[in-house]
Amino acid sequence: MSDIEVMLDENAPIIPIIDGAAPPKVRVRKRGRVTKWLAISWLVFITVSAIGAESLPYINHSCDQFDSDAECVTGTKANIRYSERPPAWAGFSDSPQKTEPARYGLMGTDKNGFDLFARSMLGARTSLIIAGLAITFGLAIGTFLGMIAGYFRGWVDVVIENLTNVLLSFPALLLAIFFVTFFNDPTTSAATTRPLWPVIVSLVILSIPPLTRLVRANTIAYAQRDFVVAARSLGAKGSRILFKEILPNIVPTLMSFALTGLALLIVAEGALAFLGLSVEAPTPTWGAMISFGTSALREGSWWISLMPAFMLFLTVLSINLLGDVLAQRFNTREAIS
Amino acid sequence: MAGSGKAHLRATGDVLLRVEDLVVEFPVGRTGLKVHAVSGISFDVLRGETLGVVGESGCGKSTTGKAMMMLPRPNSGSVEFEGTELTDLPAAAMRAARTRMQMIFQDPISSLNPRRKVRDIVREPLAIWKRGTQAEQLAKVDKLLEEVGIDPVRAGESQAHQFSGGQCQRISIARSLVLDPTLIICDEPVSALDVSVQAQVLNLLEDLKAKYGLTLVFIAHDLAVVKNISDRIQVMYLGKICEVAPSDAMYSSPAHHYTKLLLDSIPVPNPEVAVQQVTVQGEPPSPVLPPPGCRFNPRCPAADDRCRAEEPQLREVAKDHFVACHHPLFGGEAPVAVRSATG
Amino acid sequence: MNTRLQAASRQVDGPLLRVTDLRTHFRTERGLVRSVDGVSFTLDRGKALGIVGESGSGKTVLSRSIMGLLPGRNTERSGSVVFEGEEIIGLSLKDRRKIWGKEMSMIFQDPMTSLNPVMRVGKQVSEGLRIHLGMDKDTARATALRLLQDVRIPEPEKRLDQYAFELSGGMRQRVMIALALACGPTVLFADEPTTALDVTVQAQILELIGEQRRDRNMSVILVTHDLGVVAGHTDEIAVMYGGKLVEKAPTRSLFANMKMPYTEALLRSIPNIEDPSHTRLNVIPGRPPDLVNPPKGCRFSPRCEYVQPKCINEEPPLIAAEHSDHVYACWYPVGSPVYRERRAQLDAEKRRAGHNQVGVA
Repeated sequence: MSDIEVMLDENAPIIPIIDGAAPPKVRVRKRGRVTKWLAISWLVFITVSAIGAESLPYINHSCDQFDSDAECVTGTKANIRYSERPPAWAGFSDSPQKTEPARYGLMGTDKNGFDLFARSMLGARTSLIIAGLAITFGLAIGTFLGMIAGYFRGWVDVVIENLTNVLLSFPALLLAIFFVTFFNDPTTSAATTRPLWPVIVSLVILSIPPLTRLVRANTIAYAQRDFVVAARSLGAKGSRILFKEILPNIVPTLMSFALTGLALLIVAEGALAFLGLSVEAPTPTWGAMISFGTSALREGSWWISLMPAFMLFLTVLSINLLGDVLAQRFNTREAIS
Repeated sequence: MAGSGKAHLRATGDVLLRVEDLVVEFPVGRTGLKVHAVSGISFDVLRGETLGVVGESGCGKSTTGKAMMMLPRPNSGSVEFEGTELTDLPAAAMRAARTRMQMIFQDPISSLNPRRKVRDIVREPLAIWKRGTQAEQLAKVDKLLEEVGIDPVRAGESQAHQFSGGQCQRISIARSLVLDPTLIICDEPVSALDVSVQAQVLNLLEDLKAKYGLTLVFIAHDLAVVKNISDRIQVMYLGKICEVAPSDAMYSSPAHHYTKLLLDSIPVPNPEVAVQQVTVQGEPPSPVLPPPGCRFNPRCPAADDRCRAEEPQLREVAKDHFVACHHPLFGGEAPVAVRSATG
Repeated sequence: MNTRLQAASRQVDGPLLRVTDLRTHFRTERGLVRSVDGVSFTLDRGKALGIVGESGSGKTVLSRSIMGLLPGRNTERSGSVVFEGEEIIGLSLKDRRKIWGKEMSMIFQDPMTSLNPVMRVGKQVSEGLRIHLGMDKDTARATALRLLQDVRIPEPEKRLDQYAFELSGGMRQRVMIALALACGPTVLFADEPTTALDVTVQAQILELIGEQRRDRNMSVILVTHDLGVVAGHTDEIAVMYGGKLVEKAPTRSLFANMKMPYTEALLRSIPNIEDPSHTRLNVIPGRPPDLVNPPKGCRFSPRCEYVQPKCINEEPPLIAAEHSDHVYACWYPVGSPVYRERRAQLDAEKRRAGHNQVGVA
């Protein structure tokens, strides 16, 4: 092993190769530790809140204004007493409503009197579920297609390549509109919530092509390595090679891509909701909240739109940071002969 | 040079592997051109023998090794292993045949899956073919690992990148032995290793060969290494065989001009031995457009018009010593005055 | 043809390069890696020094450290490197750049990655000429052509306009040599210049380097792991092990009269083409030392056949043999009474085990 290569790659984890007693540690300054932990904390917080939105104390507290907790969080009934109040800390803003209290809650309230903090947590749940399911399905399908295209090549590769091109050429918007109208049963009343599936399917279709391409490229690269030739020479069948030799090697890349993809899909869902193509009210998603708050923005009630936007921003940022960290960590130095 | 011909194939003896008229060609992108990696060579290996295959880049030795295992299937020619013709075996039968012939690769670390524990890697062949219970498999794996000098406990906990190059090569050797093969093809197994580690691996291969009664095909570019481990050597150039001879004879009396060039180029670790003046300049031409006639003719000091037009066939010039040359250094036709080529 | 003009202030006599107690350490997560741990030597004008060692011996780091090519972060360098009378450790990057290419040049192992893939070959060669020697475009091109002719590239006019990928490995290496020699440096570092090449091409390249050295009265530091390469192409050889210089001698003396058991073991582990086939190779057991936590005494002691308690506890200093130009660091060198006794023991064991010839099939 050439030490020069070790030195030139400063961010690579140094793996102890040679046996010997543990040497005295020399501190090498590590960058990004603090941001990494902040990102993780934020994501843990959001996930926990999203799951337990109804029962968590810090969300509950903001529901004091309501007659019942259920009303507060599920948003089935609004308490217009406290509508359109800016957050408690925003001393510079005034509510269009001139009755007391002048300000309310951690993030203020919207036009219907819903506490924005509570609603954002609920929105987190829906946004995360939609994006999470979409990325999972996208991963599964994309990985499968990419691996067989990259390993078997030939006509399989050609077919999948064309399929990917077709999927890529669908404008996401039209696709979403198509699915939403397709799945929307006109006989049901408008009060029932729209199903999640149309949005998820649109997002899945969006995420398959880049994933397939990535997996295919990685598979081709690994398939040429000696250990795959060795596996073939040992009598392993194609499927075994794909799952036991190649897949474990592309998983780290997939994980970091999945996280980035998750962030992108949350934003994409937000865009769709903005255009009214996602799930309907009263189930909130961040995108929907941002969208419906834009009219209030013009009137000066900035918090109705910008608070959920801020949550979205922090979450996406944290996911991206985490993705970077994971990518670095799994970057094993392999060929060091 | 250009080694077609089968004069050197042996009619008697326990022939384990026989290759005839092997041709491997690769298309070059979409240009319609082809890389003539291996152009019709024949050779055989007796049971228990070590055949050394030596040559420089572009000679086709690695391709030959892989073609023997049908990785990929050659364009034409026959490969007969233990009496079975491999070139037209269906996929399932080929997979089964592969358990009897194994391969060791050049880059020790890249030939092991970086994500798996070493012990699992060595166990993999047994798992694929479902030989024995898990306990029996692990016992066999551990025994082999110890034999090659790797601690089985550490192998169970560590991945390939935590071992050095020499250790990885030993792990590869252990993996290749676990199915009890008869033939092992070694494709430049020590080229990427340090000199002292190289010696360890070469000695190990000799010991294992003796212990398990193996037959080896040893492919390398270092003639000194090949000579050390082989019984018989074949020298390849640009997809053809130049010369086939027993190792000691190849060194003491090379018949082919290319063999002599190789021998003269080896840097001898002895300052008292004068460094041979380089008389042959240039490098092997591209295997996409090999020269007509004898493929070595552009660089050969003894080339004449016949060499440029007619491809020489392998013929015997001494006992068990074959050369493909119109004007070999001995045992040939009318002696030719070798032109001294200036650099 | 030494085209370089000497600055008036430069030292003309004395050694060209004097390295004193050079240490290069890298700070890593695992600890401080002591790649080069106290190396000293001198190099005279026009001489060829071979630096021999295996992976992890520090030889590559040494050559780059002398030139000052290492990345700054997490690198600690100490000691002294005096080139033509001037200390070059501690020079700023700007000053170092003035030396690189003009006074000191390096050629690397892999010519494919050392040449710029998107720049034409002629431009790469003439770039140095224009920057360091201030030549204009036409003169530079003509000089580049002459350089390519010097390094014996076939069809040099054509090559000037080609890209690196259009050339073969040997030709690329010749281009790299032309690049390195363009401004007429006084010292050429050749870092494993032929390891990636075929053996017949290796012979040509080594001959070329030797020729250029003699023509230009240039010094060459040839870094390699191959004892055969240094035997034929160097005046003096320095053997490195575990970051330290363990033996240094004029080439003939080194091979005729090896002192370090490591050097001897290294030579005996190389398969010699003259030996009959199936000769058992001499193996050096174990692996190179951990540079973060090297052995306390002699760094080779864990692997040495002749190890004694003193070797494990005390690090042997570099001492000179009878003529002062053969130095080595060993308590019981080859030929000493302790050595001879142990050697007899080992030979007797070998005879008993009958290990000289492995059974031929």
